Amino acid sequence: MKPGNASLSEPGPNVALCARSLVKRYKNSDHPALHNFNLDVQQGEFYGLLGPNGAGKTTAISILTGLFPPDSGIVRIMGMVFRERQNEIKQILGLVPQNIGLYDKLTARENLTFFGKLCGIRGKKLTARIQQSLVFSRLTEHALQPVATFSTGMKRRLNLAVGLLNAPQVLVLDEPCVGIDAQSRHLIHEQLQDLNQRGTTILYTTHYIEEAQELCSRIGIIDNGRIVEEGTPTALLQQSGIANLEDLFLHLTGKELRDT
Amino acid sequence: MLKILATTAKEVLLLLRDRTGLLVLFLMPAILVVVITLVQENVMELTGQSKTQVLLLDQDQGELGRLLRKQLEAGSLEFVVWDEKQNDVADIQAAVAGGDYQVGIVVPNGASTRFKEETARLFQQGNGPAKPEDIVSTSLHLFVDPGIMAGLRSGVTAQLQMALTTIALEAKIAMLSKTLRETMDSLGAPPELIPLDSGKLHALFRQSILTLTEDQGDSRAAGISLYNPVQQNVPAWALFGMFFTAIPIAGSILQERRSGISIRLSALPVSPLVLFTGKAVAYIGVCLCQFLLIVLIGTFLFPHIGLPCFTISMNLTAVLLTALLSSLAACGYGIFLGVACNSYEQASTLGATTVVAAAALGGVMVPVYAMPHMMQRLSIISPLNWGLTAFHDLLLRGYSLPAILDNLGRLFLFFAVTVLLSWKLARLRQ
Repeated sequence: MKPGNASLSEPGPNVALCARSLVKRYKNSDHPALHNFNLDVQQGEFYGLLGPNGAGKTTAISILTGLFPPDSGIVRIMGMVFRERQNEIKQILGLVPQNIGLYDKLTARENLTFFGKLCGIRGKKLTARIQQSLVFSRLTEHALQPVATFSTGMKRRLNLAVGLLNAPQVLVLDEPCVGIDAQSRHLIHEQLQDLNQRGTTILYTTHYIEEAQELCSRIGIIDNGRIVEEGTPTALLQQSGIANLEDLFLHLTGKELRDT
Repeated sequence: MLKILATTAKEVLLLLRDRTGLLVLFLMPAILVVVITLVQENVMELTGQSKTQVLLLDQDQGELGRLLRKQLEAGSLEFVVWDEKQNDVADIQAAVAGGDYQVGIVVPNGASTRFKEETARLFQQGNGPAKPEDIVSTSLHLFVDPGIMAGLRSGVTAQLQMALTTIALEAKIAMLSKTLRETMDSLGAPPELIPLDSGKLHALFRQSILTLTEDQGDSRAAGISLYNPVQQNVPAWALFGMFFTAIPIAGSILQERRSGISIRLSALPVSPLVLFTGKAVAYIGVCLCQFLLIVLIGTFLFPHIGLPCFTISMNLTAVLLTALLSSLAACGYGIFLGVACNSYEQASTLGATTVVAAAALGGVMVPVYAMPHMMQRLSIISPLNWGLTAFHDLLLRGYSLPAILDNLGRLFLFFAVTVLLSWKLARLRQ
């Protein structure tokens, strides 16, 4: 699908995550962070959002997960309009933020318990979910250790596990593998692919182009607040006639440094 | 409710894991209440609200010195007598000028004899009373520390002057009685014609016919302690400590924002109000424990270090309610600071400055009545003043719960407004 087509149509019945004409402008900024941003992610899809620094990835994810509202435009999750049914949407939506949003002084189990209870899970269901999360993140043996004693890889795995506590239908991940070793990255990739195969819709942002190519069934390249190209990795390469995704990425977003 | 409890449990765990921070929260008001009360106990002496020591050098060793001590020891002066053989006037002067004693008095050698002689001359038999200008007044030397407060200076000199006046008056009455008897005897009048004998004159003189009675309202009936630094400082510094918890509350909110936890929390199906409430409940527990600690210090430690015992003689429920609502106000302020500030440095600087200023304005450091008029009027804006006034109404004035409802209402309103503002601000920040 060519970028921008999404804005012309209503979302289909199988669209898990839909953004229409999103505009966001920050105070004291000359350019909008998002400018007519449109996106459709199908149910069960593993969608990668690629973009240089300042392209609007984090703003897009923040609006898509309800962290703050857009200046204009609309977001639907599983057919529900975000601003109308926030609480219901948050029950089926998972977010794995780029920063490791965990309490350092609490143990892994205590972190999972707290965030699980905030998701509204309780009793035996909560105990079972916590156990599943610990197994999922390979942290069962470290469950009673404070997070402060964890390596970055362990923290990233727990960060992911917390995002999965409510068994989300739609999972949004913001650079979940930054700064970790190959082993932890490999494990996270495996787990995400497994989740996706079991039906979880995933929206994934990354700086690593090869990572997106390996994991994602479809990729959108964002720059200057809008999607500039979109398609499966193979289709993108075929359409552009460029040999690899990194060259395509540079071709679309330019080689200028994005320091601001 | 589950989410509030989960947040409270998490906050309690975080507090327990930060033992240094927790220790500071309890140690700071505990040290302050002990140190400041000890310091103010001395100030109470300086302002004459407790016994003042007077250094006495009795070079005369006669009746005058003895009468002076007898007159004054029943009041608020306590004599320290220096040996007249080992010390002289210069020593007394140096001790007072050096600040070792606030007041020194010297009864010069021969003062008692001269006093008696001059009293007798007033009623010289045969020649009638002497002319006032012929009488030589016996002078005692008084030294007062130039550093003491004007109120104490005038209080002490007034007491001394009153004692001397009483001694002189009694001596005059005795002399008058004696002269009268001798005159009647010389005229050959029978004793029953003498209108008043010496003993009756003394009794009449001591008979009180005009008195000043202080009305202490309900407090005396309720057995409530009169104002002293302990009754002032225990609730005052407990409040100060409670309001200082605003800084760690703000710190915990800012830490969540800095670490990215707040992003995760925003994506969860939970309202910021629930998170604020859960946090407030945990810190209210901390504030109440602080209050309890300071009360225990006042009750059990103070008597062992020479301070009066803190007493809550009545209205325990009202006292606890005041402590609870003060805690709520403190937590509300902490939440507001955490949401309004951008960094921990900002919050700690602003928090410490505002709490210290509110404490000073509210009467924690200096009682409100001792402030300039304008500051007294301004003190009404300090939440610490609302709490402290409520405590004083209960602990010193013997009021009951209905009388302090206005201040309790202000504390609750402050909590509600700060939390609502925080909620609005948190939404705006998004």
